[in-house]
Amino acid sequence: MSSSMGMAFKSLRRRKLRTAFTVSGIVVGVALILVLLSLTAGTSTRAGALINTLSPAQITVVNATGRTAATAGAGGTFVFRGGGGGGFGGGRLGGGGGTAAATFASLFGDSSTLDQSVADAVGNLTGVSVASPTLSSTGYVSGTASFITGIDPATYKEATGGLNIVTGGNLANSTSGSQIVVGQNLATNLGLSVGSVVTVGSNATGGSPYTVVGIYSTGNTFTERFSYIPLTNAQAIANKTGQISEVYVKADSPNEVAQVTSEITASFPGVSAIAPSTFTGAAATLSGTLTTFFTIIGLAALLAGSFGVVNTMMMSISERTREIGALKAIGAKKGQIMRIFLSEAFLIGVIGAVVGVAIGVAITLALPYLTGAATTTTVRGAGLGGLFRGALSPTLTLNTILLSLGLGIVVGILSGVYPAWRASRMDPVEALRHV
Amino acid sequence: MSSKRGGETVGEEEPAAVAASSKDGRPVVVQTVDLAKRYRRGRIAVDGLDGVSITIAKGEIIGIIGPSGSGKTTLLNLVGGLDRPTHGKVLVDGFDLGGLDDGELADYRLKKIGFIFQFYNLISTLNAVENIELPMGLANVPKEEREERARELLSIVGLQLRANHMPEELSGGEQQRVAVARALSNSPSVILGDEPTGDLDSKSAKALMDLIWNLRKEKKVTFILVTHDPFVVARCDRVFSIRDGKVIGEVVPKSIGAKHASDEEKQMMDSFY
Repeated sequence: MSSSMGMAFKSLRRRKLRTAFTVSGIVVGVALILVLLSLTAGTSTRAGALINTLSPAQITVVNATGRTAATAGAGGTFVFRGGGGGGFGGGRLGGGGGTAAATFASLFGDSSTLDQSVADAVGNLTGVSVASPTLSSTGYVSGTASFITGIDPATYKEATGGLNIVTGGNLANSTSGSQIVVGQNLATNLGLSVGSVVTVGSNATGGSPYTVVGIYSTGNTFTERFSYIPLTNAQAIANKTGQISEVYVKADSPNEVAQVTSEITASFPGVSAIAPSTFTGAAATLSGTLTTFFTIIGLAALLAGSFGVVNTMMMSISERTREIGALKAIGAKKGQIMRIFLSEAFLIGVIGAVVGVAIGVAITLALPYLTGAATTTTVRGAGLGGLFRGALSPTLTLNTILLSLGLGIVVGILSGVYPAWRASRMDPVEALRHV
Repeated sequence: MSSKRGGETVGEEEPAAVAASSKDGRPVVVQTVDLAKRYRRGRIAVDGLDGVSITIAKGEIIGIIGPSGSGKTTLLNLVGGLDRPTHGKVLVDGFDLGGLDDGELADYRLKKIGFIFQFYNLISTLNAVENIELPMGLANVPKEEREERARELLSIVGLQLRANHMPEELSGGEQQRVAVARALSNSPSVILGDEPTGDLDSKSAKALMDLIWNLRKEKKVTFILVTHDPFVVARCDRVFSIRDGKVIGEVVPKSIGAKHASDEEKQMMDSFY
């Protein structure tokens, strides 16, 4: 029958309130699934980006006195984010206590250092393509606090992929010289451009003049507040001659990363080698677990919604028993009756899915503002706020929307199958006798 | 027209005495041959109908009377293809319903039968004209054609001004007239009514019977009406009295009807008998 959809529509329209209640079950389920999927997608994207930002090389070698913290970092990547609000939010850059700060320090080597000779030794190991020594410390660029990283420009680019220079160029290939590359955020704050001269030193007032040769971008305001100078100069400023905070290592092949990592740890007692890919792996696993968990919650909500649809439809069929009997008496076939009720279920599914997606999208878009606003305003370094706002930063994708939409419609139709089948199988004689 | 009263007399003219036309030459529309229906109520078998053989000609208005549980509605359901007999045959337009499967029976109901019920049973979510279109929609009649025919039928039953009213906005009498129009929509051979005036006041009941008489006169529609209503009985051509699943009598209510019938109706009744 061509007008079964029309009949279904009229039937739903005539019972608006009940339809609204029925539909709301699907709406809640669909909206929940959409928000949860967007949240997990956002979380894993952010976690991956964060790890890659903090540790640019395949392997990072640090002093093992930071080992406890480093291990904690490796075991629970999300310590970064969890501790972020407390550890960094209230404290100064690089300061403060807590696991997160310690982990952070271990990666950047602010507390414990290695002898520079370790870099050469690591570079001689089999499977190692290049080992680049760096020294990270806190210092001041024209009076503004910054992480100042001393690098060996000749090996740094190969070991880490280098900085994403947007203006100017890299440091000259020398471990000394009064050149500096600054992050975009720092450049903007200080009004710097290529050729500008800044003072770089260990305290806010002193320092020597450096010429800005390049400005880099990371897309993350936090790491764009860093600066890079030749290694020897950095050691002098930090008063750590011959010392480095970490060695960035690149293996001959990505497949050898794990092997090289354990080789380094075995060869150098007191040294810790960290491969961020293992973080990323852990993050991916955790994110996968979260996705599964949230999907199950969402599906449970949809299932509950579908019981609502089944219930309402059974009620509706029971109320309309005589009408169904009459439909059969005037010649409606089983398939035609089935189609009328399935159309009703389909419409409930469509309305529920569309409204659910609309609400879900609205919530998803509103979440960063609801959860992120506080962070940005209280943290002095806006960059930190930007970095750690990732905690509730959902990613909305077309796939998620289509998946939620499809799920709602499918659940609607499936919920209608049994009631429609019951209606189609009704004995007309009994149905007509029904009072 | 022949009628066999009770199962015991069936043997005489049995079995396939399929009448092509009644004795006055009018074509036979409905014939039942030794029709029986046995129900199971728990472990007890109950005879709903027990050997009914009746023949109904085109354009007749037939009444079926009897106490509750006598088998009136069962007979109607069997003729209407809503139920299957345990024994015997139903022939409509000479065609045996016995061999039809569920889908074919639905098709038979759609095209050969019109139903009207005591409580109208209009689809509550459809308005008057949509209710009339419904059987045509089920029969895949094109939209324009069924709309046009629904409007025409609506004016035949005198409700052209109520086309877009929902059933709940119509009086009982009006709903029943919409139901009659719906029953007529696929031009059936026979219209079956189960207590069609059972829920109507006497004025509406009279209007309905006037409509039925008019339809018979104008369109040669055949009616079988199960009823308790003496007024309906009075205006039937013939009335079968059923008790315990058997036809125990056939009445021609001319004398009763004469008191109520108009001159035209009397004349028509006279011409039939």
